[in-house]
Amino acid sequence: MTDPYKVLGVSPSATDDEVKKAYRELAKKYHPDNYVDNPLADLAQEKMKEINEAYDLITKQRKGGGRQGSYQSSGQSGYQGSYQSSGANYAQIRQAIQSGNLQYAEQLLDACPTRDAEWNFLMGSLYYRKGWLDDARSFLQRACSMDPYNQEYKQALNAVNAGGMPYRQAGYGPPTQQGPDMCDMCTAMMCMNMMCNGCR
Amino acid sequence: MFGYVRPDVPEMRVRELERFRACYCGLCHELGREYGLAGRSILNYDFVFLTMLLWGDKETCDYELRRCAVHPCKKRCVCQSAYPLTVAAGYSVILAYWKADDAVRDSRGVKRLGAVCARRFLRGAYKKAAGKYGDFDLEVQARLSELSKLESERVPSLDRPADEFARLLSSAGLAAAESSRRALEQVLYHVGRVIYLADAYFDLKEDMEAGRYNPVAARYGLGGPDAPEEVKNSLLETMMASTRLAAAAFELLPASYWTPVTANMIYSGIPNMCRQVLAGTYRMIKRRAPKSPSATAGGTES
Repeated sequence: MTDPYKVLGVSPSATDDEVKKAYRELAKKYHPDNYVDNPLADLAQEKMKEINEAYDLITKQRKGGGRQGSYQSSGQSGYQGSYQSSGANYAQIRQAIQSGNLQYAEQLLDACPTRDAEWNFLMGSLYYRKGWLDDARSFLQRACSMDPYNQEYKQALNAVNAGGMPYRQAGYGPPTQQGPDMCDMCTAMMCMNMMCNGCR
Repeated sequence: MFGYVRPDVPEMRVRELERFRACYCGLCHELGREYGLAGRSILNYDFVFLTMLLWGDKETCDYELRRCAVHPCKKRCVCQSAYPLTVAAGYSVILAYWKADDAVRDSRGVKRLGAVCARRFLRGAYKKAAGKYGDFDLEVQARLSELSKLESERVPSLDRPADEFARLLSSAGLAAAESSRRALEQVLYHVGRVIYLADAYFDLKEDMEAGRYNPVAARYGLGGPDAPEEVKNSLLETMMASTRLAAAAFELLPASYWTPVTANMIYSGIPNMCRQVLAGTYRMIKRRAPKSPSATAGGTES
């Protein structure tokens, strides 16, 4: 196995706190929430596993260092939650999107007779997965307006608006309005937490 | 349409800026060595970015002191020739040639004449590069012909034409090592989207005046060159979301010699560029570019 200190990017002489801080930062970076519906989610998961193993190994070696369990990766968040399955076809499409078979999913969606909220949601997810963000947002907004109480749709729309890696604020340049976005993100996080707890 | 991916210089460490300049000069020298003056004339920032991304995670960089026509008085520290520089130079020649070819078909009058000259000027260099990188050449031709088809149909979508350009750029990931190819292709895909969208908005006024197709105008149904605030916000959101996805993929690349520099470009340079393009201040900054230390080798616009 590779040197666990190298994985965390700290020197072997780092204090326990430094190790923990480095671990937390990396875990935040590669957290599955940053890779929801991302074609590279598997790579991120691998990376997360590597980091967890490295941290566990270091804390085990150092015994007295106030061992705390590593973050459990919450697996694929997103789809697991609420299957409403209005028609077997949608389940099939979900599966196709999740397994990355986008062409097939698109064919199935085109063949669908109804254009209800879930259809719009699936179209949005498909486009998000492809990286076509403008279209993804339009479809998800339509899904949300057709079924405003559906958490899954709301979450997906949030992912388009805030998914991926949060970029740091540049020192110079015009200020951007950050307030409402951060609030949205917080609520989204809280919702996700609640749903994750519910699944366990 | 290139040169949008640039560093945010005030945010850089001095050594990062020096490395960036050395890479920029290195790419210019590489273009000169391989393709002569025609090659040097097409140097732009985006391919410096590509060079740095193609760098293997185990390799360091060797430097040498060289003089050139733009800096005749003092020798500059430049990157020595290396595989990523060679590849990026070849790719940029191919792309520049087909862009010129596209412009010959799309424009009229003096502009067309200019494009014809540019194409003629690049012909020899292109032949050499296409012989070496046939796969990339074919991919560029396929994507650009799809793109011009979509443009002539005047599709009212941002994502469809952006997809063609993004796929074009992501095919440059072919040159990367197997282990990092998947993530790199995603980085390039999303960065390509941002470049295409930024360029579309940047050209909005010019396109509207000339009556040409412009994806932003077609998508939002704009009648004039001034986009309303909500269109700008929507466009900025889309570009920022793409940037975040590029960053998410970027974090999955193995760390390399250039990571501090490329991270600056992704996390700070690209978002800045997007905001400036939408605020209408980008043109000004582009013109000022030669004064900033990183653009001293000239020929940044294309």
